[in-house]
Amino acid sequence: MFTSHKPVMETKDADKLLKDFFGEHKQEIQDNGFTRRVMRKLPEQADRSWIVWCFAFVGMVLSLMLGFSSGSLQAAISYLLQIPIYYLVGVIFCFPLVSTAGLLLAGNRRF
Amino acid sequence: MSKTDDLRWVTQLTLLGDKSAFDKLTCKYQSPIRRFFLNLTMGDAPLSDDLAQETFIKAYLNINAFKGISGFSTWLYRIAYNVFYDSVRAQKHYADLDEHVVDCQHQTQNDFSAEKLDIYKAIKQLRREEQTAVLLFYIEDRTQNEIARIMNCPLGTVKTYLLKGKEKLNVYLTQAGYGN
Repeated sequence: MFTSHKPVMETKDADKLLKDFFGEHKQEIQDNGFTRRVMRKLPEQADRSWIVWCFAFVGMVLSLMLGFSSGSLQAAISYLLQIPIYYLVGVIFCFPLVSTAGLLLAGNRRF
Repeated sequence: MSKTDDLRWVTQLTLLGDKSAFDKLTCKYQSPIRRFFLNLTMGDAPLSDDLAQETFIKAYLNINAFKGISGFSTWLYRIAYNVFYDSVRAQKHYADLDEHVVDCQHQTQNDFSAEKLDIYKAIKQLRREEQTAVLLFYIEDRTQNEIARIMNCPLGTVKTYLLKGKEKLNVYLTQAGYGN
């Protein structure tokens, strides 16, 4: 196709030349509404979140049944009843605060 | 954002039908996929956007076929590759484009057209398979194994495409004064 006037470069130099050339011409394309247009064109699909609830329900029922049959659930309840009510109320009120702080920390680490 | 995020979003989409997960995947991969098409179509921005859109819609519709053996990006490039070659077969469109037409299109459709002409001229020196392999290797940073999976051909064939592509590009770029 071409008549070469210059000697062809060594493989290492040739590779570097190509990497530099394509590196120079590599571009990031701005979204400019592309993602929105794609999302608008996607066909509707059925909501399958019921699967999660279904599995959660079955899991809860199974664990309750196992807890009752092994007696560990009764033991846990009797243990909880021995704890002073103020401690339990304290734990219940602290839970949202602690979990929010945990989520915030996790979020900060991630981004 | 890592491959773990990709898998999480794919799982959210397949198990829960969560569309917002696909929104994140599209947002993450729109730039590389559109750039891949833009280079393959020698800078035809509207056409490359149409092809990219088709790629993402096909990915969404066939998301259950993604087995996670290769990465999501490799799988997406495979769809993009098929979409492009289906389009070429259907239209025989790009073979007839000459540089003048491409030049005009750039001037009206792309802000970055002037600097981009060199790359399209260089790519035009290659056969279509060589173009794909070279673009995936040098611009999209895919490994030779991934390119083989994307192009659905043996590794040896990819190596041959890359070698021939490199040889032709070297001669072209040296003559164009890039090696100096």
